[in-house]
Amino acid sequence: MVCPLANFEEVYRTDHGAVYQCSRQNCYWLEFAGDTTAFRVSDFFSFKKKIDAIDVSAMIIDPSRTADFTILMPFRTPRCFVLDINDVLNLRELLNGAKFMIELNSVINACLKTTPSRVAKL
Amino acid sequence: MKDLLRLKTSLNEEIENILNAQIKVEAHSSSVYLAMSSWCDDQGYDFSSDFFTKQSEEERKHMMKLFNYVNDRGGKAISPEIVNVPTDFESFRSVFEQMLEQEMYVTQQFNHIAEKCIKLKDFVTFQFIQWFLEEQIEEEYVARRILEMFDVIGEEGTGRWEIDKHIPKVSYEG
Repeated sequence: MVCPLANFEEVYRTDHGAVYQCSRQNCYWLEFAGDTTAFRVSDFFSFKKKIDAIDVSAMIIDPSRTADFTILMPFRTPRCFVLDINDVLNLRELLNGAKFMIELNSVINACLKTTPSRVAKL
Repeated sequence: MKDLLRLKTSLNEEIENILNAQIKVEAHSSSVYLAMSSWCDDQGYDFSSDFFTKQSEEERKHMMKLFNYVNDRGGKAISPEIVNVPTDFESFRSVFEQMLEQEMYVTQQFNHIAEKCIKLKDFVTFQFIQWFLEEQIEEEYVARRILEMFDVIGEEGTGRWEIDKHIPKVSYEG
């Protein structure tokens, strides 16, 4: 469940989940597979790297039953992600989109800070 | 929307990755020079052994300078895994040839980082790596000068003993 004190803004959404930013707690919330998880900024990007590093080809090729799922337990979260190939691809799509929007927000903020009108005010 | 990313780090992801890769290169250099030190000691080249021990320590300092910079700028420095460190070398001369090759590779990597910094307009990191680029002039000079001694003194007779004795005297005045 999402923190009731959180001050939310949607970062990115797909059919399979969403990422929100809480500007009060300075964290991101991941909504995926019917549950929500809070990540600190650095943890969020570490989690994305772990998802990107999953070898989907190996999961497809490997005939053993255990290869159908990947289990991830990110530190500092109570969540255990049990992901099949579809979940991995869906999560990647969501996290890639969220990362793009987070970086775009940074670029926009940087541009706004250097516009002539702001400089004039300073 | 509040910019959480820049509150956390001032480093662009690409710059952070390339600096972490350089941390690994420096750590690898340090290990290779330590291996060279050990080989020289084993072969009886005491002065060269000391020279490479100092080189190894210097590379480690370079690594830590980069490591601390990444962390200080809000990034995440990665302690590197070092593999493929040689234990044996063909000859006394080949050790210094490898040293020069290693230094030229490091220079090439820093040039690449400088190019990336300009492309991404990260002039703070660009300024930071100027120190390393200047350092590379000395590193390459010393390796070349030592290699030239092999031709000037010659390896015959007591030549290698003489070269080893002169190794600590090679320095770059700038």
